[in-house]
Amino acid sequence: MPDSKSGKDKSAEISRRAFLGTSAGAAAASLLGKSDTAEAQTAPPASRPALPGQSAAAADRDVGGATPPPVTRAAQRPGSDLMVQVLRDLEIEYIAANPAASFEGLQESIVNYGDTPNKMPEFVTALHEESSVDMAHGYAKSEGRPMAVLLHGTLGLMHSSMAIYQAYQYQIPIVLIAGRDDTNFLRSQSADDIAGIVRSFTKWDAHPKTLPEALDAIQECYRQAITPPRGPAIVVLDTELQKEEAGELQVPAFVPPQITGISRDEAKAVAKALVDANNPRIAVGMLRTPKGVDDAVELAQLVGASTSTRAVIVPMSFPQRHPLCGPGADTDYDYTLGLETAGVQAAIIGLHRRSIEGRDETGIGYGFVRKPRTPVWGPYAEPKPSEVNMSADAEASLPSIIEEVKKLQNAAHKSAVASRSKRHAAANNKAAVASLEKALEERRRGWNDSPISLARLYIDLWSLIKDEDWCLASPTQFSSGHNRVLWDHNKPYSHLGMHGAGGIGYCIGASTGAALAAKERDRIVINIQCDGDLNMVPGSLWTAAHHRLPMLVIMHNNRAYHQEMMYAQFMAGVRGRGGDRAHIGTTLRDPFISYAKMGEAYGVESEGPISDPAKLMAALERGVNAVKEGRPYLIDVLTQPR
Amino acid sequence: MKILRLLLILGLIHQVYAQDVSGDAQKGKQDYYDFGCYGCHGYSAKYRVPLVGDTSGVMSSESVFLTYLRLRSEQNPINPANRMPNYGESSLSDEQALDIYAYIKSIDDDPPELDGVAVMTDMLDAAKARGDGIEK
Repeated sequence: MPDSKSGKDKSAEISRRAFLGTSAGAAAASLLGKSDTAEAQTAPPASRPALPGQSAAAADRDVGGATPPPVTRAAQRPGSDLMVQVLRDLEIEYIAANPAASFEGLQESIVNYGDTPNKMPEFVTALHEESSVDMAHGYAKSEGRPMAVLLHGTLGLMHSSMAIYQAYQYQIPIVLIAGRDDTNFLRSQSADDIAGIVRSFTKWDAHPKTLPEALDAIQECYRQAITPPRGPAIVVLDTELQKEEAGELQVPAFVPPQITGISRDEAKAVAKALVDANNPRIAVGMLRTPKGVDDAVELAQLVGASTSTRAVIVPMSFPQRHPLCGPGADTDYDYTLGLETAGVQAAIIGLHRRSIEGRDETGIGYGFVRKPRTPVWGPYAEPKPSEVNMSADAEASLPSIIEEVKKLQNAAHKSAVASRSKRHAAANNKAAVASLEKALEERRRGWNDSPISLARLYIDLWSLIKDEDWCLASPTQFSSGHNRVLWDHNKPYSHLGMHGAGGIGYCIGASTGAALAAKERDRIVINIQCDGDLNMVPGSLWTAAHHRLPMLVIMHNNRAYHQEMMYAQFMAGVRGRGGDRAHIGTTLRDPFISYAKMGEAYGVESEGPISDPAKLMAALERGVNAVKEGRPYLIDVLTQPR
Repeated sequence: MKILRLLLILGLIHQVYAQDVSGDAQKGKQDYYDFGCYGCHGYSAKYRVPLVGDTSGVMSSESVFLTYLRLRSEQNPINPANRMPNYGESSLSDEQALDIYAYIKSIDDDPPELDGVAVMTDMLDAAKARGDGIEK
């Protein structure tokens, strides 16, 4: 029957999306008998009876070309508007997503609801759901609070699962929202219990059945994500709820979580021990927010304690170059307090992963869920048995300890603290200078070699960013971590640490998320990017270009999955054969990959490969200047392997 | 560590009888690359675990170098990437090993003076400056 408007025969028409889908397009063409080629491709063998074909509507549906059913009454105040208002009230700045049908209502509200469209949260276009979650991971590490991610249930959630797992392992707060369309779309893309896909490695989930419940669930999702033990939490929102008329329904007021610190008696005891000590020390691990870092600094200053920090390998730790940070004037400490890290006399360490054990309903037994153990890498260490361990969040404990210390202080104590602090400052500076001098001496070797020394890359780059507000978003262990001793990690976001579970593909997404955080804060993001990692999910380059993000991508291009090459090399050695074939399957040669061209393809200003160390500084300068102007920039540098 | 100490002692002894380099540095350069030595030591043997300017004794003589390559077998540590692989004769011949030795020995060790690299001296000066004003 001809369409009354177009005059076309609908029976002979198939949607563009369906037609482009190779197999379904062929099937549809076969069905309609309009294409000789398609017919030839799909014609059944003569020996078999012809099977009944799929209907045009079914073929269209199966490739995602189905048109949503007509809406009988457009909502004047759609439920998804209220969902966006909840996100705004929570001050969620960004929501990253790869667009999908199951959250079309919510997506429309994000960009169109209210007087200031597409802000708070701003819709960030991701080219892969893994990238979306990695962005949220990097953002949360930078700011100490969550952004949101929209995911298509079930498929988008599956795409994002590795990134969610890594965020879970690092205890990163993320608000995950999965759309669910169980009536109008593909059955194969829906499920009864969508959150079950990631239940083992998320902190909390909900699948609300009514709009008021949905609004509450988004708030609870945020609360769960930020309450220690932190982690990604997920709420599944049916399309019907997104499109439902809200009528006079009001957005509920958000009730912030009560995060429990140590008891008042414990705070008094810790404060007394710190004040009574002649040489107190505070060991600082990874706190939750910049406020926690400020409080740790205040406490150390109040009691004149030398401090240790993990700021060179994790975010939210004590400023590395603070005068009190270092071994101090006297390493015979008579009281050590650990904050989210093992102390000697006392350690305040939150519950962390152990409290989420019950969510592994499938019994898969992921690491850390299976059995708590000391990680080889990671922000948390198991306390030593001899310590007084207080199972409470350290950051939430700090205000009461500070308050109790202030009550105990007298003039004599303040004077002793001032004197001790000066001695610590002098000793720590001396130690830092000696450490730096030794490090620089060691790093002179190979300074002018090609491929370029990674030490030189870090040193040249530091000369350009040391006076900027910077964030090193990429893990650095694969590039030998030269920043740890060479750079000054003084901000809560100076270094965002590792992947979470070592999953490759994290770096570019997390750096993009850190750049989202940096964009409005006059900050630049440095991403020393491994080549293997970028090849996993390079689409974040486009996101950085599209959203004008201040991200400098410096390729650590060693043309290999280098760690894995060494594994293969070692195994060949153990078996006494083929040591010269370890490169097979582990190197990115023949052909070499052009990362400058890749960057340009995604719209990022790019240059390289640079193998001449004499040309490195000028390239870095161009890159730093670009990101300071809010433009992402990529420099492909051929480097030494490590 | 015990192995390294033993090698260091052996190395000191062997230095007395130090042999000339007998291998072919050109061939050794290719073998150094093919056998992945650059993985830990860098393309010019100066990085991460440097062999140029080596102080462990491994490079003190050809025989110590060969002994070290052959000494390690059937070891399977937790993180192989942090360990020296074993190179038995069935995988790497004596001739190839000595060629690699010759190549490493042929590499110039010419690091610039620290004072001659402005970015390095700037870093040191800045670190020292942080201590200015602190009462000693």
